[in-house]
Amino acid sequence: MGNRRFSWMDTAKVVLVMLLATALGVLFAFLGFPETNIVLVYLAAVLIIARYTHGPGYGLAASVLATFAFNYFFTDPRFTFEVSDTSYLITFAIMTFTAIFTSTLTAQMKRSARQALAREQDTQALYQLTNHLSDAQSMEAIGTAALGSIGQTFGCDAALLFLTEKGEAERSYLQYAAGNVIHRELDAGDEVASRIQLLHTGCVETESGQEWPLYGQQRILGVLRLPRMALSDAQRQLLCSMLESIAMAIDRLSAAQAQQRYREESFQERTRSNLLRAISHDLRTPLSGIMGTSEMIRNLSAQGDPRRRLAQDIWRDADWLRALVENILSLTRLEDGRLQIEKQPEAVEEIVGSALAQMERRAPDREIDAELPEELLLVPMDAKLIVQMLVNLLDNAVRHTPPGNEIKVSVEKQDGKAVFSVLDRGEGIREEDLPHLFERFYTTRGKSADAARGVGLGLSICDAIARAHGGSIRAQSREGGGAVFTFELPMEEDAQ
Amino acid sequence: MNSLHEHILVVEDDAQIRNFICFTLEAEAYVCVTAATAEEAMRLLAAEPIDLMLLDLGLPDLDGTEVIRRLRTWSEMPVIVVSARDQDKEKVAVLDLGADDYLTKPFSASELLARIRVALRHMYKQSGAKANPVYQAGELRLDAEKRKVYLGESEIHVTPMEYALLLLLFKNQGKVLTTSVILREIWGAGYGQDTQALRTLTAGLRRKIEKNPAKPRYILTEIGVGYRLAEERE
Repeated sequence: MGNRRFSWMDTAKVVLVMLLATALGVLFAFLGFPETNIVLVYLAAVLIIARYTHGPGYGLAASVLATFAFNYFFTDPRFTFEVSDTSYLITFAIMTFTAIFTSTLTAQMKRSARQALAREQDTQALYQLTNHLSDAQSMEAIGTAALGSIGQTFGCDAALLFLTEKGEAERSYLQYAAGNVIHRELDAGDEVASRIQLLHTGCVETESGQEWPLYGQQRILGVLRLPRMALSDAQRQLLCSMLESIAMAIDRLSAAQAQQRYREESFQERTRSNLLRAISHDLRTPLSGIMGTSEMIRNLSAQGDPRRRLAQDIWRDADWLRALVENILSLTRLEDGRLQIEKQPEAVEEIVGSALAQMERRAPDREIDAELPEELLLVPMDAKLIVQMLVNLLDNAVRHTPPGNEIKVSVEKQDGKAVFSVLDRGEGIREEDLPHLFERFYTTRGKSADAARGVGLGLSICDAIARAHGGSIRAQSREGGGAVFTFELPMEEDAQ
Repeated sequence: MNSLHEHILVVEDDAQIRNFICFTLEAEAYVCVTAATAEEAMRLLAAEPIDLMLLDLGLPDLDGTEVIRRLRTWSEMPVIVVSARDQDKEKVAVLDLGADDYLTKPFSASELLARIRVALRHMYKQSGAKANPVYQAGELRLDAEKRKVYLGESEIHVTPMEYALLLLLFKNQGKVLTTSVILREIWGAGYGQDTQALRTLTAGLRRKIEKNPAKPRYILTEIGVGYRLAEERE
């Protein structure tokens, strides 16, 4: 602050006030007042100069000048700088000291008053900014408020570019110029993107200006560009505070938007599940009727009657639909968490036995082997769901295995887990199908996909059931042809 | 010799399934009486000579458990409940309350007739002559007088608990027995719900009488419900 430039105005003030003080002193001397009064007049003059000039230099100069003027005009011998009475030297010294002291004090007072005013303005600007930001309901509103405040406070143009969640630049940015905020397309040639990495360390100076990053909680939210200009420490501090407020507003808005999105998505998901379940429920009753009636027609038809085969086909299709409906019901209930898994220690052999009994009904002409441990394995599980899972896996194996080839269920105990495997000597699993096998509605595009239609739900429900039990399922191709599906269930109740 | 023109009450709100059931029953010379609501069923039970009731659990007006509870206050008539797959809890509750057996939709005509035959046979046995002391299912034979179990010609050594379980199953041959009913009969009323003990007991017995416990021929598992002794008769 001390190295303020020389000002003619202030110099004139010093000269004028000094002349007035000297004139008053001459008047006092003429009237015969004591010299002390003249000294006081000079001190008052120095005080006035310190108050009304800018910078401490004028006050100091006035202090020295006042002493010399007093010496020159009012001490014997007058109109010289000589002193006859040496006691005057003490007067000079005290006068100079007092003048310098008061002028510096005044200058300091003035400086802190000025700083307080500046702080007050900063606070005001920041307050207005946060006020606008809290009203903002969109990114654009935030940008407009931010640029307006910064532009007005710093008296310059400014631009704001938002970054996406992946840290890439948005296509367009906001530009503040002459009091207005407008949209601008990002030039292809602008290499902002390449500089985003640099922003992690702070402000980046370029030839055209300076770029300030907006740090959010997790990532850099955007970039503020200002023209090239010098900023004082206080201005830097203010700018940083403003950037912080803006970043907080963006974080708050994106959190609110994410929550809104999540609410909408979960509502849609719920609606879809409800719809699916309602349809499945309503399908089930007529399907039972169709299956019963077609069975009746089959039993009424003689052995060679073509109607017997037709009725059998109706029954088989209805049965396939029924299995699909059951899978959809279980899957939607598992996924929306409504199906409470009720775990009870169950004998593995009974579970496998039930699955085999169901397969006996669905594919009576297929032989399925079982390989179980001699000891009794009791595993905590929801028996119905695990049976459903085994039936799905066996059904899958039957569909992909030519008649006569091996299909086998095996169970063994391994590291505190019950490991169930369904093995076949069928066509195996194509390499490109492996990662998608357990996805919903995924069916292979392989050659026999049409011949042995799968719903693409059987395996995804297996996955859901295994996970609901704190277990896992995987599929592999088997050495020597065929496939093996393996799922593991924890043997301990609390092993989840 | 089976059908003595027994009157069977079919309580089912879906007309097509009602038709299918009645058609199947009438083909076997049973007399079919129908009701679409529980209220109608209760009225018919009081007014008509009914021998057996087929009760759908998805009735619009009354809970299946409530129908059984009311019926059992004045009648021991056989009741077979018909349920959808997600009515498991209600189904087991109804069986524990005294229903005789169950069918899960969709069921086949032969399953339906088999259940009805078993239920009627047990009804006649209870009201009729002294029970036969020798029970038989395929190769498996239990002599209640000598307290011995045979598989073909050879005697099988079973523990007293295993014998009790097998005898209970034989007495209800062809009928489902819920886990809690078996626990109550074998361990006594105060024993609670220790299903693990029952699983272990069954597993031991199966290892003595079944060739392959994963494909049981005699003691069949009804998942989530209980056990049933096979209806194999020679």
